[in-house]
Amino acid sequence: MNKWIKISLLFTLLFYSLAGMTQKQRFPKPEFGTGYHQPTPITPEPRALALEYTDVFVLLVVLSLASWLAVRKRSRKWMVWLSLFTLLYFGFYRDGCICSIGSIQNVALTIFDPGYAISVSTLLFFLLPLLFTLYFGRTFCAGACSLGAIQDLIIIKPLSLPEWLRKTLGLIPYLYLTIAVLFAATGTDFIICRYDPFVGIFRMDAAFHMIVLGIAFLLMGMFVARPYCRFLCPYGVLLSWMSKFSKWHLTISPAACIQCKLCSDSCPFDAIDLPTDEKQVKHRIWGVNRFLVYLLLIPIWVLSLGFAGSKAHTWISKANPKVYLAELLISKPEVHNDEKNLDVQAFLSSGKSMEILVNEATIIRHKFYIGCWLAGGFMGFVIGMSLLNQVIFRTKSDYEPDKSNCYSCARCISYCPVKK
Amino acid sequence: MHMEQDIKLKLSINIALVSGIFCITVALLLLLNFIQMAKNKPLESKAITSLVKRLSQEPNSDELKQEIRNFDLLARKAYFNTQWQVKTGGYLLLFGAIVLAFSLRVVFDLRSRIEEPVEVSDKELLNRMLTQRWVLITGSLLIVLGLVASLASVDHLQKYNVDESIASVKSTENQEKIEVIQVGQTPLILDSSKNTIDSLKPRPAITTEVKPLPAAVAKIGYPSSSQLKSNVPSFRGPFGNGVFYTKGTPVEWDAASGKNVIWKTPVPKKGFNSPVIWGNKIFLSGADGKLAEVYCFDQNSGKVIWKQPVDKIPGSPALPPKVTDDTGYAAPSLTTDGNRVFALFATGDIICFDLDGNRIWARNLGIPDNHYGHASSLIMWKDKIFIQYDTNKSRKLLALKAATGELAWETIRKGKISWASPILAEINGQYQVVLSTEPMVAGYDTDSGKELWSVDCMMGEVGPSPGFGSGLIFAANEYARLVAIDPVKKAKVWESGEYMPEVASPVCANGLLFIATSYGVLACYDAKTGEKYWVKEDGTGFYSSPVVCENKLYTYNTSGKMKVFEAAKTEKILGEGDAGEKITTTPVFKDGRMYLRTPKFIYCIGKK
Repeated sequence: MNKWIKISLLFTLLFYSLAGMTQKQRFPKPEFGTGYHQPTPITPEPRALALEYTDVFVLLVVLSLASWLAVRKRSRKWMVWLSLFTLLYFGFYRDGCICSIGSIQNVALTIFDPGYAISVSTLLFFLLPLLFTLYFGRTFCAGACSLGAIQDLIIIKPLSLPEWLRKTLGLIPYLYLTIAVLFAATGTDFIICRYDPFVGIFRMDAAFHMIVLGIAFLLMGMFVARPYCRFLCPYGVLLSWMSKFSKWHLTISPAACIQCKLCSDSCPFDAIDLPTDEKQVKHRIWGVNRFLVYLLLIPIWVLSLGFAGSKAHTWISKANPKVYLAELLISKPEVHNDEKNLDVQAFLSSGKSMEILVNEATIIRHKFYIGCWLAGGFMGFVIGMSLLNQVIFRTKSDYEPDKSNCYSCARCISYCPVKK
Repeated sequence: MHMEQDIKLKLSINIALVSGIFCITVALLLLLNFIQMAKNKPLESKAITSLVKRLSQEPNSDELKQEIRNFDLLARKAYFNTQWQVKTGGYLLLFGAIVLAFSLRVVFDLRSRIEEPVEVSDKELLNRMLTQRWVLITGSLLIVLGLVASLASVDHLQKYNVDESIASVKSTENQEKIEVIQVGQTPLILDSSKNTIDSLKPRPAITTEVKPLPAAVAKIGYPSSSQLKSNVPSFRGPFGNGVFYTKGTPVEWDAASGKNVIWKTPVPKKGFNSPVIWGNKIFLSGADGKLAEVYCFDQNSGKVIWKQPVDKIPGSPALPPKVTDDTGYAAPSLTTDGNRVFALFATGDIICFDLDGNRIWARNLGIPDNHYGHASSLIMWKDKIFIQYDTNKSRKLLALKAATGELAWETIRKGKISWASPILAEINGQYQVVLSTEPMVAGYDTDSGKELWSVDCMMGEVGPSPGFGSGLIFAANEYARLVAIDPVKKAKVWESGEYMPEVASPVCANGLLFIATSYGVLACYDAKTGEKYWVKEDGTGFYSSPVVCENKLYTYNTSGKMKVFEAAKTEKILGEGDAGEKITTTPVFKDGRMYLRTPKFIYCIGKK
């Protein structure tokens, strides 16, 4: 069997490496004199309004079906077919865009930039999955997300990760969400879209490093199920908050759990909460002490990370193209004569003065200063709450899905011998 | 049942094997294709390169051109063929990979066995301890990363402001005094000796207040009226009135013999703009429809100090608009405030350099629809440049911010297209921009662009700019009228229909008004009453505007003959000169010398 795994890995590597190589086989861009705007290769062309609403309609149908399949029909088989459809439609047909994950940035930008108005369809792509999650759990992840679908379909031999590792890596989505919102709010970049590891596969077109990243995620995904969803997806943070309070979440057993333990190893995402071990309850006193300490530490975490974030704002703001260009022109004046530096040449030919550029960059940097304070403070809150959660013991008597982290994929259902 | 499972398993393995081999084959083909493409880049074909090289030696060879076209077509066909192969191969590979992944999944599923249920972990406490430890480590790491990032980064933006402030302090040291003009108020004198770095410290780089410009730019002072008068900041001198304030200027010279010619320097490209001067630097522009340039000459030696191209301007037309030969692409004269120099071209490109030739900003104002070509010169006051941007489609007075080139204001004017240049006139203690066009002469507020007054009196294609003196505005145009306007009363004071210029602008000095017509008549009037004092028929027409310097009226007819008259009620010739070339530009005067642009040269004429 190892032989087959090796062969499949080799194919996958070859396939995506070659796809990346093809990107370099291009003629130089045509040089038009004036009036022509080179289309961006990152953002697809806008779609006709009717088709945008078609996408929303498809999302609504897929979300409804996924929720019905997870909560009522309890069918893993149909869920697989649905996720395959999602992969083909939202992934390969729609080139991975529009996507609920990326819509976070549109929402952030529309809040912080009065000059930017989010389209209704994008707003719906952001809101609908959250709304469905609030009622049915993360059925969006199960059947309506193309990124989730591509990872779910290639799970071959999932490994169970230790809890401490899962919880620690689980902090990354919060950090990613924070940075993505910060960058979108300051008009710096849409990093979720830029560093989407699978969009290059959907479009059969991506930069080499993104192809490598995509391959890495897919290879990892064969053994660590859904690595992007679990340890990176910023939208997953919002979904997990909603799912925690979901009204009709998927259950493993349709009736009372008979404690047969058959489902205990069924979840490739380690998202099944086991019944509380009575031995651990004895340590609740220990937990109470720590609870008080961690509770008092939360404001300290918020302030400390807020302060550290604010100190890092100069460095982080260099990611903004305007700030970067202004600093480059100041720190290395010789680049004025570098004809190969297209950014510099574009600026020099724009007619804009250095003073204006510096002034704009200064304003952006100030936004980063405030943004980094808030982002650091938020991360401090997340760290504080994560610690607090570790000393809170909740008594559970059955095998239950962990509502926050369960993707409602319905795998566990087929393991349960209880049939109504 | 078991049999069926075995068959399924075997089938899946075989499918996986076939799809695997298929994927490898396609992948190898794609790899070969890539290597081939990497080695032979169609656009860098040696054959095409050598043919192109040959074409530069035989530019008229049609055979060679056809051969290049054929090779180019082949290269492009090869390229697009390869692209098709890559794309098709990519999809085949994707298909193969999907089949492979699916069959592997089936193989794994069929071989899976029911496993023993896991025991409930009794190490939950340990797990929680470990989690706490790692969360603590992560939190601490984030704090450390933040602080390290803070130490590792330098705020160059703040540094830039400090440097610029110091530079501005240095620049103030080089000037005796910078007077900040507030018309109607007591001028504020900044004494450079009291300026310190502390007093000019930039405001903090980080501020919640959105300000349009950093401190460094805001500190640039405006030249005083005395500084303006001792320089030549715009077309027809200070305020565009055709009056100069230097002494000891020559009344005789001759280009052919070199009499009183201090120096002459060729001007690389054609242009009908007249010189503007600040300090010891003379500025001109030239353009030929392919390239526009701005030149800076040394006032003392005539050497070119710098020459800068006007290029890489967004919106600048790839093909220049059509212009007539006698207007050209560089008709508008430049303007300067002593810190920067600004040039406008028939393409609508406007560019700003500092006096050392460093490009500050440039932009395109929109290609002017102008059947002769844009000719109206620039003029500036305080922090704004004024442009009479008339086209056949719209008539506008634009004010651009000198520091950035951004639009300060724009006034849509009624009337028709005009080729006259704006002038500045101090009326009721406030400077106004005055324009002449059909049907009116009007004054505009320099701060807001608001039309302050307007008198309907002009008609036709107005070329001569207005004149200002004795509290009156003078405007004239061929086939229209010569009019004296009281801008305070917003009414005509007097008018005449006898002698009217076509191109040359009127000039007022010593209470007298001088008119030079394109049919060769020079006329002198009383500025306030319109009484005609004298008329001189030259025989050759005037395009060059008459100007006054030190009570002397300088005139150049189109054949290049200079005549200098006493600026008095009686006609008296003080001297003559000859440029030996057609003269349509206007001479300027500074430091006792006259500077004149001819079709090919710029002359410095002074007493030897």
